[in-house]
Amino acid sequence: MQVTLKIFRYNPETDKKPHYETYTVEAEPTDRVLDLLEKVKGEQDGTLTFRRSCAHGVCGSDAMRINGVNRLACKVLVQDLGTNRITVEPLLGLPTIKDLVVDMEPFFEHYRSVKPYFINNDPPPKKERLQSPEERARFDDTTKCILCGACTTSCPSFWLDDQYVGPAAIVNAHRFIFDSRDQGAEERLKILADQFGVFRCHTIFNCTLACPREIQITRAIGEVRKAIATGRLD
Amino acid sequence: MTLPRRVPLSAALRYRGGGPMWAWILHRISGLSMIIFVALHVLAGFGIQQLGSDWAIWYNTLYESLAFQLFIYFCVIFHAVNGLRIIILDTWPALIKFQREFIWLEWAIVLPVYALTAWIMIQNSLGG
Repeated sequence: MQVTLKIFRYNPETDKKPHYETYTVEAEPTDRVLDLLEKVKGEQDGTLTFRRSCAHGVCGSDAMRINGVNRLACKVLVQDLGTNRITVEPLLGLPTIKDLVVDMEPFFEHYRSVKPYFINNDPPPKKERLQSPEERARFDDTTKCILCGACTTSCPSFWLDDQYVGPAAIVNAHRFIFDSRDQGAEERLKILADQFGVFRCHTIFNCTLACPREIQITRAIGEVRKAIATGRLD
Repeated sequence: MTLPRRVPLSAALRYRGGGPMWAWILHRISGLSMIIFVALHVLAGFGIQQLGSDWAIWYNTLYESLAFQLFIYFCVIFHAVNGLRIIILDTWPALIKFQREFIWLEWAIVLPVYALTAWIMIQNSLGG
C-alpha cells in the first residue's frame, strides 16, 4: 500500500518558519511509523531529523505527535492508524531543535526537581533491604516509566504553563514516595504541594491516554494529591 | 536557532485527547459562560432599574430568549455533573480505572435531564 506522510519540518540554519513536507512511501500494514520515517530519510530526504534508539518501545526516544496524538513511532503500526495519510509532528510544549527533535531539557529539569532517586539515611544493612510483595506492588505501575515525555507534552496544564512539573515528574516521584524502603517522601510531597505541583492537574486524562507503557498516570497523581491532603501514605 | 516553545490554541485544539479532554474544554466554556451571564444579569438589572439604559433592555431581551435559556441551562447542567465526576475521581483515585465509564455515565445523566427540561422549556415557550 502507498502511504502519504505529512511531516513537520524546521531547519534552524535555513528556515525562518516551520513548514510541512509531504512524502509518499510504499509500506506494509504491519510497518511501524518509525519504519516509514527511516524510509523517507534513507531513500528520499536525508536531511529529515528525528530521534530513535532502541526502536522497540523501551528507550522512549521517538515520542512524537502522530495523527494528532502523542505516540512512540516505534510502537504504532500503519494498520493501527486506520488511514494511509499520516501526519507527524514534534511534541507540543517543548522548544523544537530541528524537524521532529525537541529540546527535552525543560522536561528533565522538572524530573530532577522531584528527587527521583532512593533516599535512605540509615546505615546500609548487611544484605538487601527487605520488602513484602504487597509493599513492592504499591508502586509497581510507576516503575514502568521510560521518560519519553509523551504524557507531560500531552497535558494542557503544561501547555499553558511550563513551570508545572508535569505528569512524568509526578509519576517518578510516586515511584519513590510509596516505596516502603525510602525516607524522602516528606520532602518530595513538600515539593509537589507547591503551586506548580500536583494541584495543577485538572484530571484531563491526556497523559494516561498518551502513555505508551499504559501507566495509570492520573491515578498516580491522585494518590500523591491524596497523600499531601491527608498526610498519610496508605 | 531553536524554535521557541509555543502552543497556539489551534494546535492545542487539534490534539486528539478524546472525550475527557473535550469534557475539560466544555467545563471551562460552560463555567465562563455562567460567570459572564450572572455578571451581565446583575449589571442589566441595575441598568434597567437605575438608568433605564437601552443596552440593559437589549440584554434583558436576549437572555430571556429561548435559545439563550437553552444554552445557559446546558452550561449549568453539564458544569454541575462534570464537576461532580471530577470531585469523585479526585477524592477516590482508585476509581480512576473506571474513568471511561464515568464519562459515559456523565452523558447518560446530562443528556436525558437536558432533553427533558429543554422539551418542557420549548413547549412552554410555544404555548406561552
